[in-house]
Amino acid sequence: MRIVIAGAGNVGTHLAKLLAGENQDIILIDESEDKLSRMDSSFDLMTIQESPVSLYGLKEAGAGAADLFVAVTPDESRNLISCQLAHFLGAKKTVARIDNYEYLQPKNKEYFSSIGVDSLIYPEMLAAKDIVDGMKLSWIRQWWEFAGGALVMMGIKLRDNAQILDKPLAELGKELPYHIVAILREGETIIPSGNDTMQAGDLVYFMTMKKHIPHIRKIAGKEELPDVRDVIIMGGSRIAVRTAQLVPDYMNLKIIESDINRCNRLTELVEDRVMIINGDGRDPSLLMSEGIQHTEAFVALSDNSETNILACLAAKRFGVTKTIAEVENIDYINMAEKLDIGTVINKKKIAASHIYQMMLDADVTNVKCLTFANADVAEFNVMEGAKITRSLVKDISLPRGVTIGGLIRDKEAILVTGSTQIQPGDHVVVFCLEGMIKTIEKYFN
Amino acid sequence: MIHVKIIHRILGVLLLIEAGILLLCALLPLFYGENDLFGFIMGSLLAACFGLLQMMIGKSARNREGAMSRRDGYIVVAISWVLFSVFGSLPYYVSGYIPSFTDAYFETMSGFTTTGATILNDIEAMPHGLLFWRSLTQWIGGLGIVFFTVAVLPIFGVGEVQLFAAEAIGPTHGKLHPRISVSGRWIITVYVLITLLCAVSLRLCGMGVFDSVNHALCTAATGGFSTKNASIAYFNSHSVEYVITFFMFLSGINYGLLFFVAFRGKLRKLTEDTEFKWYLTITLLFTAIIAISLYISTPYNGGASVRNALFHVTAIITTTGFTTTDYTLWPPFIWMLLGLAMYFGACAGSTSGGMKSIRIAILFKSMRNEFNRILHPNAVLPVRVSGKVIPPATKQSVLTFSVFFFALVFLGWFFYLAIGIDIADAYGTSLACLSNIGLTIGDHGCNISWGDMPAIGKWFSTFLMLVGRLEVFSVLLILTPSFWKHR
Repeated sequence: MRIVIAGAGNVGTHLAKLLAGENQDIILIDESEDKLSRMDSSFDLMTIQESPVSLYGLKEAGAGAADLFVAVTPDESRNLISCQLAHFLGAKKTVARIDNYEYLQPKNKEYFSSIGVDSLIYPEMLAAKDIVDGMKLSWIRQWWEFAGGALVMMGIKLRDNAQILDKPLAELGKELPYHIVAILREGETIIPSGNDTMQAGDLVYFMTMKKHIPHIRKIAGKEELPDVRDVIIMGGSRIAVRTAQLVPDYMNLKIIESDINRCNRLTELVEDRVMIINGDGRDPSLLMSEGIQHTEAFVALSDNSETNILACLAAKRFGVTKTIAEVENIDYINMAEKLDIGTVINKKKIAASHIYQMMLDADVTNVKCLTFANADVAEFNVMEGAKITRSLVKDISLPRGVTIGGLIRDKEAILVTGSTQIQPGDHVVVFCLEGMIKTIEKYFN
Repeated sequence: MIHVKIIHRILGVLLLIEAGILLLCALLPLFYGENDLFGFIMGSLLAACFGLLQMMIGKSARNREGAMSRRDGYIVVAISWVLFSVFGSLPYYVSGYIPSFTDAYFETMSGFTTTGATILNDIEAMPHGLLFWRSLTQWIGGLGIVFFTVAVLPIFGVGEVQLFAAEAIGPTHGKLHPRISVSGRWIITVYVLITLLCAVSLRLCGMGVFDSVNHALCTAATGGFSTKNASIAYFNSHSVEYVITFFMFLSGINYGLLFFVAFRGKLRKLTEDTEFKWYLTITLLFTAIIAISLYISTPYNGGASVRNALFHVTAIITTTGFTTTDYTLWPPFIWMLLGLAMYFGACAGSTSGGMKSIRIAILFKSMRNEFNRILHPNAVLPVRVSGKVIPPATKQSVLTFSVFFFALVFLGWFFYLAIGIDIADAYGTSLACLSNIGLTIGDHGCNISWGDMPAIGKWFSTFLMLVGRLEVFSVLLILTPSFWKHR
């Protein structure tokens, strides 16, 4: 696929890196030589130093022959114009990043496609969705859906009270309603085999079906954790407004914002059930008086990544179980995760992965790929006569560091164990250590 | 970070490819019934063993995107050129046709770097197989050993960007296609096409099949090895000289541009290209001056003056180094012009050596700007290449490169003087090695007998050739202490 990315900012470069690893033809266009030269010399892609809204530049970049044109400069109007121009030149599909909620409304969709903008992405909206999902299932760290939600994967941090600790996986029993696909222990990713054990402090990735989620909650020792009912958001940013619009009715929301003018504006933007409080979200006495001890979730969404991280750490000390911090500085993400902040939100990363997912959905090739915790997740359609179909899973000597999580057969999800027989036509979800996809591809073709 | 295992693995794969090529060359002794078969078999066998050993060491290296660093790329490129030359010299050495290993290594490195300097005094005494291997080393080295192998056999899947960056030629890298492996294949296609056309044209001019293939390989690579002692003069044919002149000139053009002209029909890209214009102008200008001075000062008639001037100017600017006559018998004024042309080189992204026309163009434009700056102290003076303003960093690196290049020529000059070579020859030898021409200027003729040089001089020459071929920085970089720190 030929993909032209306009704008080599954080979203653009992150996306380009993701896609360059997928053997796609990537062309990155930006005005800044500095931003481009770094990408050009270390990744397999072409860079064009031109303005994303110049017809000449877009022609140079081959936008006319592009299968996908992605405009992700910081300026939404430039993105829209860039997409229009690319569409005019002949780009098959265009995506623009926007900052305006109105544009996203379904009734406007037709207008935008008529001017040549096929899809819009609004990172704040996506971030708000992630925050609300994180609060609904507060005991889950990470969450992915496969094959349209038939299979789900979730990352859960195990504490001392989990029921499945220190036992080899093989002794946990047969016909389990889950499959453990990866364990992240002290920064190292383990693709477990039957002899490995889970320990307190591990981040464990479970593959399961939606109906088994309560069971997993029980064995992971997360049952006594209260559901999130009271939420405090620090910082009345646009994400905070979107989050306030998305939270389910049973949650009580308080937004703490230090700027009084913004507070006044917020009261117009959100409904009455959300309480707006004027003050500094880092002030312990204010938090106490607003009942932080009885709050289950604390979300830090100020403009400052450092403030967000520190505020979440403070909230943890007050006994808040779920903390979510917006960290826009990509270098801090790992650090924030190490500090045990429940969920880290990064608009740029979210936007890039969303576009990436869109591209994968549009792509007809066999492999889909997603990277988490130094491991790759790939989806394969099993071919007729493939190596994997010749015997039971346990009898096939798969290389170390590879595990088959689950499969979809006739639209029904099945978890894979050693005694599963894989059949041609199955849609299989495979986990492996980073970079092994090519090695395992041959088992399925 | 230096990833020892990945380096071993890639080197192993590259050596296996060399072993395969050597094995194919072993067909020639079988066909001609000559006694150099054993040399090829041994060379192939040893290269294969060593390659397998390297692969075993690097077996557990994880094949992962981004695992290879820039440093790894530079190390792989530098080491692979040396290793290829070591194993490539085995056929000469084992078969006994070049009894000294130093000489065999010199000949091979001179081949891979497309220098074209030879230690052989009687080339025609060599068997067909070795002669072909000699030409083939130039053809493989023409676009770069690593580039050639990686582009023909895209086996790694990772690290191509780092490898190509370390071996790339020229100050700016315009890519043809988003994916580097595809661009590589396009360029190889152009290369093969030029070689084929050249071979067919030479055959039509009456050259034998074996000779036309060999000369085509060395012309497209702008290498300059000939199968004859007298080089092109042996054929004594004007048409052969013109054909070779044309293909030398063609091979001196940026292959990316050639691709656009030949396969996309974009002739405008060529006429808009600053570097091509400079290359053409320099060639024509030097030809004109030399032709006129030849006409005045030598017994040549008009046609012969133009032909000789054109042939030698092209052979030297493209750093090929074919000859039809000893130009050091011409007036010294002309040597100096040719000596100047030796610095220039043809275009970046071609098979030629030297400093490349684009750097000369940027240097001249920067100089002109300096003069303008004196007149207009507040003026902002850009340097444009093909209509685009080049960033200051590129200008800086071109200036640095030029200083290094001159410094190395002088360093080489001192070295050759120190080992007892005449002052003019020492200068010519140093320049011939660094620019990968193989022809020198001096009192002892344009083809000095490299074989008579002391062994240390030969080793130093191979070093200069490699430094020149990999454009100075790639080799010097891994000799700096800071490259090896913080591993």
